[in-house]
Amino acid sequence: MAKVPPLTISPSTTGSTEWVHSPPTMPMPVPSLPTLTIRRWCVWVGISIMLAVAALWACLGFGTESIAVSRIWSILLGALMGREPVTIGMDPASVILLQVRLPRLILAFFVGGSLAMVGVALQALLRNPLADPFIIGISSGAALGAAIAILFGVGISVWSVSALPVCAFAGALLSLLIMYRISSAGTGFSIYTLLLAGVVLNAIFSAFIMFLTSVADPNRAFGMYAWLMGSLTGPDFHTLGVLALYLGVGLIVLGTQAQSLNLLTLGEETARSLGVEVERVKQLVFVASALLTGAVVSFSGIIGFVGLIVPHAVRLVLCADHRLLLPVAGFVGGIFLMLADTVARTVLSPAEFPVGVVTALVGGPVFLFLLMNRNMRVGMR
Amino acid sequence: MKNRVQSSRLSKPWGFFILSSCVRQVICGIVAWWVIFPCGFPGVMVLAFDGEMMKRRQQGILTGMPFMANVAPRTFVDDLGRKLYLANPPTRIVSLAPSVTEILFAIGLNEEIVGVTEFCDFPPEALAKPKVGYATPNLETILGLQPQLVLAPRSFLRADLITKLEQLKIPIFILEAHTVEDILAHIQLLGRMVGHSEEANAQAALMRKQLASLSSRLVDLPRPTLLYILNSSPLITVGPGSFIHRLIELAGGRNAAEHAVAPYPRLTMEEVLRQNPDILLFPVGRQEGISQVEQDSWKRWTTLAAVQHGKLVQVDSDLLNRPGPRILEGLKHLVKILHPEVSQDNLPN
Repeated sequence: MAKVPPLTISPSTTGSTEWVHSPPTMPMPVPSLPTLTIRRWCVWVGISIMLAVAALWACLGFGTESIAVSRIWSILLGALMGREPVTIGMDPASVILLQVRLPRLILAFFVGGSLAMVGVALQALLRNPLADPFIIGISSGAALGAAIAILFGVGISVWSVSALPVCAFAGALLSLLIMYRISSAGTGFSIYTLLLAGVVLNAIFSAFIMFLTSVADPNRAFGMYAWLMGSLTGPDFHTLGVLALYLGVGLIVLGTQAQSLNLLTLGEETARSLGVEVERVKQLVFVASALLTGAVVSFSGIIGFVGLIVPHAVRLVLCADHRLLLPVAGFVGGIFLMLADTVARTVLSPAEFPVGVVTALVGGPVFLFLLMNRNMRVGMR
Repeated sequence: MKNRVQSSRLSKPWGFFILSSCVRQVICGIVAWWVIFPCGFPGVMVLAFDGEMMKRRQQGILTGMPFMANVAPRTFVDDLGRKLYLANPPTRIVSLAPSVTEILFAIGLNEEIVGVTEFCDFPPEALAKPKVGYATPNLETILGLQPQLVLAPRSFLRADLITKLEQLKIPIFILEAHTVEDILAHIQLLGRMVGHSEEANAQAALMRKQLASLSSRLVDLPRPTLLYILNSSPLITVGPGSFIHRLIELAGGRNAAEHAVAPYPRLTMEEVLRQNPDILLFPVGRQEGISQVEQDSWKRWTTLAAVQHGKLVQVDSDLLNRPGPRILEGLKHLVKILHPEVSQDNLPN
């Protein structure tokens, strides 16, 4: 079996995994992936880090208030040197840069990156190029949880940690549990059942949210509508820290499953015969996806299509090896949302519009294009 | 060779098709232009421009005879330019807006009001009236009340409700106030409609006097910048084109979002820091205050003048949102917030 996907990242891993030595004898149409070497991995991740920094730098320069490039340098350097954080006496330019633009861009980066990585994981898991946390109903579940939290005032923090992400995570997990029950009721855990169940769940959760907004006090419902449309506001650094904590846990879980995701794209049966504990991997990836989506939705509302277009774009340029795809898609997703948010907050300046508008306007046509070219499959191109 | 034969055979029908479709389009275009332009243009204009433009229209093309409203004293023209003839003052009225309910009570009606919305809570008598819903009023309830007149706002109203009520021969009258002057006009108009002209005129005259004396006091005062916070996260405020923006200017203030393009824009935090508002105004319901979380989220912007001076102020949202007779009370609140130096006893009552 020379065609078993080369999964070597270092010489030590090749020897330790048993299934490499006992491959199935049946010939399979396995796509040939370019070998992933450490060098290649480092090069691409390095490039994406540099791109992210460049995009951050470019986006920092745009806004309602125009700040000269040299001024941005001096302010950033001053902040990095550990000068006194913003006090009353400081000038508005540094407040705008350090307290408004920078946290907002970091939030956009976190949100976009997480959504893209969840998209990568779900597309591999469902072997469906159209999977996206927004499409299979996780976002709606999380939004329902968060909406309940907002309307009933559960947003009050417990131990200085906002209860909102917890409620959103609960909602996302609930939607996944329901989906899991529905699809395992039939024969096994079919991919198409799952996708269909996701679509229907989306409709049900949206109906619940609509019901809540229609019975709620109009003032609150108004705020909730605005939040649901997807918004990035300037958070404080404490909030960003909390978000980073949630995302870190989810990312570590997803990262450890990258190898299994590679094998899952070959088909569940194949993956099982290659020694992957399919059900366990699925559960882990689902919980991690729910955690990431819940955290992201609770901070920024529903932002669609990032998890759809970014993985495809990255896959077109790079290979489909998830050990490389996951981190690079994360960076590119972050860059994409930073750019989209910069467009959303500068075009109508001084007003802004929801960032979900930009991502949907870019992502919607791509979705339709993918729908028309159904031959495109994850892992083979 | 084969290809060339095929293409030459095809070229004629294709050419004919293209030519004929061109001709057809031109003809259709000309016909459509001459048919649609004279018929549809006034309607499009009314849809596109509200306010001043619509006022001119209501006496014009859409209402038929321009002088009709003056000839027949019992004919009324609403803010959509629709004409309504009432032989007698109606005795059963349904109000679909809290502001209209307040006007009706203010000009001395009570028995005649048979249905109100679920948000009509002032005066207290309104709470006892049957409720018909708000954004999507219950048509069956309205019919069950057998109204002789339905008074409705333009915003939030579903277009099909007008058609449906017209079909059922229930007169529906649309009121939409853009300015304080509009409110005064509405009060007098409703007074004539229900036969309470004296009360209505007295009320309007009183309000006009208060308004004049209020604005005369504010002429030479500086204009502090005010940010009206409809929603904190994301930040939504009022821009030019909204009723509250006009109130802020009338009360001698400057709206922090005066450069925004939409009536209810999402404002960037950068713009707020740049405008540096002196006052943050939170519209709240009657019982509740500004929540602690919301206050804390604003207090972290320590460079804002409003935060430095602790000017996070709340106001009863009903007083400002409702274009009704209590608007002067709301205006006085605004003046008190913007210009505390104009002391309370100097304000006209």
